[in-house]
Amino acid sequence: MRLMLFLCFLLLVGGCSKEVVKSDLDKKIAAYVSVPIPIGDVKDLDGLKWETNNNDPVFSDSAAKKGGKININMSSFPLTLRYVGPDSNDGFRSYIDGNKMGLLGIQPVTNNFIPALATAWALGKNFNSVFFKLDKDAKWSDGKPITADDYVFALEFMLSKHIIAPWYNNYAEEFFEKVVKYDDFTIGIFTKKKHSKYEMLLNYGAGYVPEPKHFFLPGLDKDWVVNYQWKVAPNTGAYNISEVKKGKSVQFKRNDNWWAKEKLYYKNRFNVDVVEIKVERDDSVAWQKFLKGELDLFYLNIPEYWHVKSDIKSVEPFAKGYINKLWFYTNAPQPNYGIFLNLDYELFKDINVRKAFGHAMNVDKVIKTVLRGDYDRQYTSQDGRNEYTNLKIIPREFSLAKVDEYMKLAGWDKRGDDGIRVKDGKRMEVVMTSGYAHHQDRMVIIMEEAKKAGIEIKLNLMDGSTAFKSMLEKQHQIAWTAWTGGILPDYWQFYHSDNAHKKQNNNFTNTDDKEMDKLIDDMRNEFDDKKKQELSRKILQREFDLAVYVPTFSVPFSRKGHWRWIQLPKERGVNDKDGPILDPFVMGRFWIDENVKAETLQGMKDGKNFPPVEIIDTTYKRKN
Amino acid sequence: MIKFKINPLTQKKIKRFRTIKRGYYSFLLLSLILGLSLFGELMVNSRALIVSYNGKLYFPTYGAIITGKTFGLEYGYETNYRELRDKFKSSSSSDWLVMPIVPWNPYENDLKEGAFPPLPPDSSVGHFLGTDTTGRDILARLFYGFRIAILFSFLLVAVNYSVGISIGSAMGYIGGKFDLFFQRLIEIWSNVPFLYIIIIISSIITPSFFSLIFIMLMFGWMFMTWQLRTSTYKEKAREYVLAAKSLGASDARIIFKHIIPNTISVIVTFVPFSVASGIAALTSLDYLGFGLPAPTPSWGELLKQGTANLNAPWIVSSVVVSMILVLMMITFIGEAVREAFDPKKYTTYE
Repeated sequence: MRLMLFLCFLLLVGGCSKEVVKSDLDKKIAAYVSVPIPIGDVKDLDGLKWETNNNDPVFSDSAAKKGGKININMSSFPLTLRYVGPDSNDGFRSYIDGNKMGLLGIQPVTNNFIPALATAWALGKNFNSVFFKLDKDAKWSDGKPITADDYVFALEFMLSKHIIAPWYNNYAEEFFEKVVKYDDFTIGIFTKKKHSKYEMLLNYGAGYVPEPKHFFLPGLDKDWVVNYQWKVAPNTGAYNISEVKKGKSVQFKRNDNWWAKEKLYYKNRFNVDVVEIKVERDDSVAWQKFLKGELDLFYLNIPEYWHVKSDIKSVEPFAKGYINKLWFYTNAPQPNYGIFLNLDYELFKDINVRKAFGHAMNVDKVIKTVLRGDYDRQYTSQDGRNEYTNLKIIPREFSLAKVDEYMKLAGWDKRGDDGIRVKDGKRMEVVMTSGYAHHQDRMVIIMEEAKKAGIEIKLNLMDGSTAFKSMLEKQHQIAWTAWTGGILPDYWQFYHSDNAHKKQNNNFTNTDDKEMDKLIDDMRNEFDDKKKQELSRKILQREFDLAVYVPTFSVPFSRKGHWRWIQLPKERGVNDKDGPILDPFVMGRFWIDENVKAETLQGMKDGKNFPPVEIIDTTYKRKN
Repeated sequence: MIKFKINPLTQKKIKRFRTIKRGYYSFLLLSLILGLSLFGELMVNSRALIVSYNGKLYFPTYGAIITGKTFGLEYGYETNYRELRDKFKSSSSSDWLVMPIVPWNPYENDLKEGAFPPLPPDSSVGHFLGTDTTGRDILARLFYGFRIAILFSFLLVAVNYSVGISIGSAMGYIGGKFDLFFQRLIEIWSNVPFLYIIIIISSIITPSFFSLIFIMLMFGWMFMTWQLRTSTYKEKAREYVLAAKSLGASDARIIFKHIIPNTISVIVTFVPFSVASGIAALTSLDYLGFGLPAPTPSWGELLKQGTANLNAPWIVSSVVVSMILVLMMITFIGEAVREAFDPKKYTTYE
């Protein structure tokens, strides 16, 4: 008994001391007084040409109404609410990031830069600096003003060892020279490398976000990752986390006093009051909840979901018009799904074999059959990157005649008893490494079709990270994989000879080509956007000519089902990957009509039908 | 010719096994299916059995592929005999061919534009149980999946038992420190979580038929050792062992010639159940995606597809029904064997 009492006492003491630490940090944060930081040399600002942009079309709908709540789902509960440090790089992060504004925004239709936290911007002389005038109205969600100090601190924060985020440390170290304050609302960013104007504004304007100095600095010590694990940081966007039910759900609430709510490009956006994100571990359970109306939105990208499970002729809530369907195409950067041929593997040293290989992969058959014609063929490794994409390239089509032609040139024109090509007693047998078990149905069709061309492909399917590791070790003969990438292509990591025949890099093809090297180096040393784009197109042509990469699939669209009360803006599609029309945070262009909601709920009770809606918007679909 | 001399006791057991109808008929039926499956290429295959073309006969089933050009078609890859049959039918020539009952092999995808797999059963095109999510014939995959699973299981039982029996009887026979050492080793080794190990291994290498058997042997041999150790301890103390020893028989001879035949009833009664569990193990590994590499026909993979596509009930129902039937038959056989070898009715020494 005594022991029990003692244990209870220990527990109490433990509990208390923990409480003290917590309030200590809160006290520190509350008591924080801004320390003055050195002011930059105002001479830097001489002769700058300040630019702004208030002339682009507004992309929200003035009919939007504020209010209401939507429920969406995530597959697992986040391990932390920090957005940097251990365990922070998961799916939930995108919801937090969606509510962090950059210095600049991008108009999703014209792709021009628009004011966000900065009202004006100017480029320095030597392609290595950029300057911003900050919006004086801008405030953190806790009401504190956002000043130049927060931007200077953001770089210190990224460089800090206490955040335990090596990627950020390296990134800040490699790209940033310094971030300088001129006055409370003017800053300059100096970079280590030279950049073209577009790159500069994209990476250091749209891509640079302030950090709340008054909130992070008081606790920025070796315990930072622990103490801030479940703390909600003040942010700049329209929503912030308002309620956390551990393991169950996270609620975001709209900030009524959001500083940008009346600004030109932000008016009539972010209309829903509350967004609740619930954990649904199982997709089929989530789907059932969506059909019942417990979830308002659901992705229908998988062909089966769109064509079978949400058929507007036969599935009730869709046929009766309670749930509407929207499929719209975007011209957003595509992951480079494809088959990468390893040039260090003896067979692929011969370019004719590679070309033949390209003609032996029946990607179109997979698209037309198991993918129901929904997906597109990937054209190059950099699709959906505006002027950087080479639209003239059409990937090699499945053609047995062409396979024969190229194989003959390579001396592989004989076939063995089993129909597989042979040369000097060797069979044409290739092992394909992949970590995408969910693509197995696509792979087996390609493998069967390749047999017709006399190529046997064996599948080496591994767990995702193991497969990627073995590819980094360059142990694959061919790799079926993909990288997601930003709007600006980076070819050095994929095709430069600096990375060929070496392990632990992304040159999975081991491309080692003088002409390619020159194009890549030229592109890196070019600071004129137009010329850069031209070089990018040339590199993609070279990629095709070398036949090292067989492009497979792209999904240049977003498909969602949404309950009838969710209203879409007049101009439905915007050309944006992260913020497709039904995303509440990045674009936030839709709204809830409470009258329609009441009408629909009543209609469901009375068994009333509404016209079924299935919209396919091809405004931004690639035309060739 | 080798003359089989069946021990009268064994004859009695076989007789008794035959009288247990449920087990006996299961045994006959399963043997028949297994026998047929060994010649499965003649029944379930995309290659024709016989082709008569321009007065010449071809037998494409076994051996090298015959390209389309041989039969006057344009392509240089393997002939599509189903199309060839239709061509022969529509033309007035005297050419003919005979297809197997199920004209599909387990790997080919039957994909048509406008119709998306999985397709429901349609006997007019030979998909008697429909197709799976990539358009492969389910009956063909079930059939070849069965062959692979049961052969896998037989082989697994054979290696497991050889290792288990040898070590088990050595433990019982030698005893002492040897026994003690293996007892502890087995205790420790059997506490290693088998499923996790196999998941880890197959995420690093893609297991093949034989490497999977090897991995499963690593964790499957221990079961038989306990049985054999006990019965060997018992047998070793009997007089016939002493007699053999005094005649100068070697230890190996005593174990394999004298002791093991006398413990055979223990071994035999376990075999059918081990076969059943071998099939179940392979199926569950395939189901989890850690078994034989794709696109090997497999029940586990079909089961996975079936549960993920419940709106295509022909997938899940065909694999579940076949699994229940096969495992049930094996269990019936096991029961009958156990009863036939029941020592309460017969003992091997008197």
